[in-house]
Amino acid sequence: MSATCYHCGLDLQAESTFSAVIGNSEKSFCCHGCQTVCQTIYDAGLASFYQKAPETQILTPPAEDFEYSDTSFYDLEEIQADYVNQQGEFNQIELLVENIHCAACVWLIEKSLNAQEGLEEAHVNFTTKRLKVAWRPKDLKLSKIFKLLQQIGYQATPFDSDEAEQQEIATHRQLVYRMAFAGFAMMNMLWVSIALYTGADQGEFKMWFYWISFIIATPTFLYAGYPFIKQGLGGLVRRQLTMDLPIAIGATVTYAYSTYVLLAPSSTGHIYFDTVVNFLFVILVGRYFEAAAKRKALSETHRLMTLQPKLATRIEAGESQVISIKTVKEGDIVLVKPGDSIPVDGKVISGESAVDESMLTGESIPIVKTVGEHVIAGSINTEGALKVQVEHILNQTALAKMLLLMAQAQQDKAPIQALADKVVPWFVLATISLAIVTFLIWYRIDVEKALLAATSVLIITCPCALGLATPMSMAIATGVAAKNGVILKSGMALQQLARVNHMIFDKTGTITQGKLSLCYSEPSEGDTAERLLQIAASLESYSEHPIAIVREAKKKNLSLQVITHFQNVPGKGVSADIGQQHYYIGTQNYLEEIGVELAPKWLEMLQKCEQEAISTIFIVEDNVVSGMMGFRDKLRPDASLTIDTQRNEGLFVEVLSGDKKAVVKAMMKRLGGLNYQAELLPEDKVRFIKARQQQEKVIAMIGDGINDAAALTQADVGIAMSSGVGMAVEGADIVLPQNKLASLLVVKHLAEKTDKVIKQNLMLSLSYNIIMVPLAMMAMINPLVAAVTMPISSLFVIANASRIQTNKKASR
Amino acid sequence: MEVIYGLLPGMLILGVVGVVVFIWAVKTGQYDDLDGAGHRVLLDDEDEAEQNNEQEKLK
Repeated sequence: MSATCYHCGLDLQAESTFSAVIGNSEKSFCCHGCQTVCQTIYDAGLASFYQKAPETQILTPPAEDFEYSDTSFYDLEEIQADYVNQQGEFNQIELLVENIHCAACVWLIEKSLNAQEGLEEAHVNFTTKRLKVAWRPKDLKLSKIFKLLQQIGYQATPFDSDEAEQQEIATHRQLVYRMAFAGFAMMNMLWVSIALYTGADQGEFKMWFYWISFIIATPTFLYAGYPFIKQGLGGLVRRQLTMDLPIAIGATVTYAYSTYVLLAPSSTGHIYFDTVVNFLFVILVGRYFEAAAKRKALSETHRLMTLQPKLATRIEAGESQVISIKTVKEGDIVLVKPGDSIPVDGKVISGESAVDESMLTGESIPIVKTVGEHVIAGSINTEGALKVQVEHILNQTALAKMLLLMAQAQQDKAPIQALADKVVPWFVLATISLAIVTFLIWYRIDVEKALLAATSVLIITCPCALGLATPMSMAIATGVAAKNGVILKSGMALQQLARVNHMIFDKTGTITQGKLSLCYSEPSEGDTAERLLQIAASLESYSEHPIAIVREAKKKNLSLQVITHFQNVPGKGVSADIGQQHYYIGTQNYLEEIGVELAPKWLEMLQKCEQEAISTIFIVEDNVVSGMMGFRDKLRPDASLTIDTQRNEGLFVEVLSGDKKAVVKAMMKRLGGLNYQAELLPEDKVRFIKARQQQEKVIAMIGDGINDAAALTQADVGIAMSSGVGMAVEGADIVLPQNKLASLLVVKHLAEKTDKVIKQNLMLSLSYNIIMVPLAMMAMINPLVAAVTMPISSLFVIANASRIQTNKKASR
Repeated sequence: MEVIYGLLPGMLILGVVGVVVFIWAVKTGQYDDLDGAGHRVLLDDEDEAEQNNEQEKLK
């Protein structure tokens, strides 16, 4: 293992390392941000954070320019009105903190915030990554809280929990209550059962025990069994046979029969109240596991939705005002500052800037936008301030339409889901028919026996083990995946992934890091690379987004020089004076524009660079070219390992990119000559995948960025790299952790393992049914035995499913 | 054996108390963050050694 950054734990790249003495020793960092954050943490006396964080944990490096970002607009009342609750002298807000990774993060956030004057309480919910803060507005500003979080390396977003989610939480709680109630009832019922089995049903206490059973079972049946009865009957009303129906019938029949035995003085039968209770509890546990997995996926999606720009700066009568995006109307004029994402679709009416549309179009280089041109919501303004006249907002934007495209692709996927829905009614029908047949056969001989046998059939075939076989394995697999930082959005995806035989990668941001870095520096003769870098950094530091050059210069401890007459030509270059000299820095186009000719030597180098997928800028000193620098989007360190391993395992690997052909070609050569398609629009990617699917290939698409969203959805399995651009992950079934492409291998193996276990589980529960159903039909099993064996078969299935976990450990 | 006429209702009452306590716990959000609470116990105290380090640094 090479050296890693002391703060975030990313591998250090030899050519871009920062180091500083913090605490007692010299520590190395991958970027200036990490260094600053570490310094802050040490200054606050919270250095033991680094002991607490698990060693293997990779933290998200802080945003590069977080020190400069403005949080003061959070103090505006209008903004606060949407999110802040007032409670007496305290204000309360719920924030979403994206990059909470481990318990140590929770500790760090709570410690440093709670030390703050005027802050009443900060509490992090680790599971949902939400931070609840209560503070006294008299003593502390909200913006200060955001600032504090930034200083220790966390980005927070105000969280506006919507109704759908509230509802979801309420339903989930209902389920927990019901399960808990059934659990308590079951525990108490077991004592009574033990007494009855050991002979109390013969003695003088018989009726007393029966009545106690009745008292326990009645509320359990009515309360815990309510959802099944409701769903089962509701299904019948809609003429659908649901999984809940046999459960409801089984529970009702058993309960009714037991009550009859209890109340009819002449009856000689047994009561089966304990069966009802146990059976409801076991099924509710299964439901709980399913719901927990689903809820996790859902909260993930909600988390991403909140990342859409929610604020806009509106200009009205010359005054600018930060307002909620909901109140912006078409025709309004909004100001977009450098570094902000554009909140609306609109036309630029003043200003000029380069806009990064990579998440929508896949184009890796920012596009220059001037007056009269259109910008799209979700893209990022990188250079100068823009005034934009609003044309479309919210769900009218191109971004929203992209999401619609995705939704359509999702509907195309429905047939697979429908298959499962088709099987269930038949299964239910078979179960009920078998039960009825059993009843009719035995009816002539003995009514009680007939009733019991039929109930046994219902309970035994109750698809409990069958129902648990998949969700249980999925729940465990989801847990294993989460430990590796991988989010599984649907269980289906994992099953699909096991069958995948064709991997398609996006290029920018997936197999490359999506970040430009300085890779090449060529001074003219007699000059030094250091001086070149110093000049370039001095000039670039004035542009609104100091790029890789400044980082590089800081690392080499080069001091920046004072510059004057700074001018920025967005998308092309900058110019300024240092002392008496006049400098230009920019692309080849820029040089042509200002009339500087490139010597053949430079042209030759330029061509060479382009072949190697390196973009270049030139430094011009008093109209003479004094050097050239090249930037490259680096391959992820684990890209080639990931791709090689997959090819060795017999998968077919391809790359799709929206980028220029020459760039993609050069990149693919380095990965050992992969198949590729370049200069593709999002629609092309979808079409390409469709064509491949028609060749009966099961496709996994690995991508990032909104531009891949539709492709991700079209593919049998969509896998996204988690990144700052949260929206992108919407179309994906599986989300890989930031900077860890290699975790794809882990998931793929996990999927295969899970698939195997699910098949075993289905076999297990099927053989259980094949053995037990005939026995039950022959009235060899009474409902009690059925109710005992049913949980046992479920336990088998659960135990088998948990092997996914253990084997995972062994293979590490 | 007549004692079970009192024991069983007693058991039921305790059971109901258990359910009520559980529902109270869920309602007050004690089950909302199962992952965090477990870790928080382990992390709350500042490391002794680290504090010494910090103090040395100040000297």
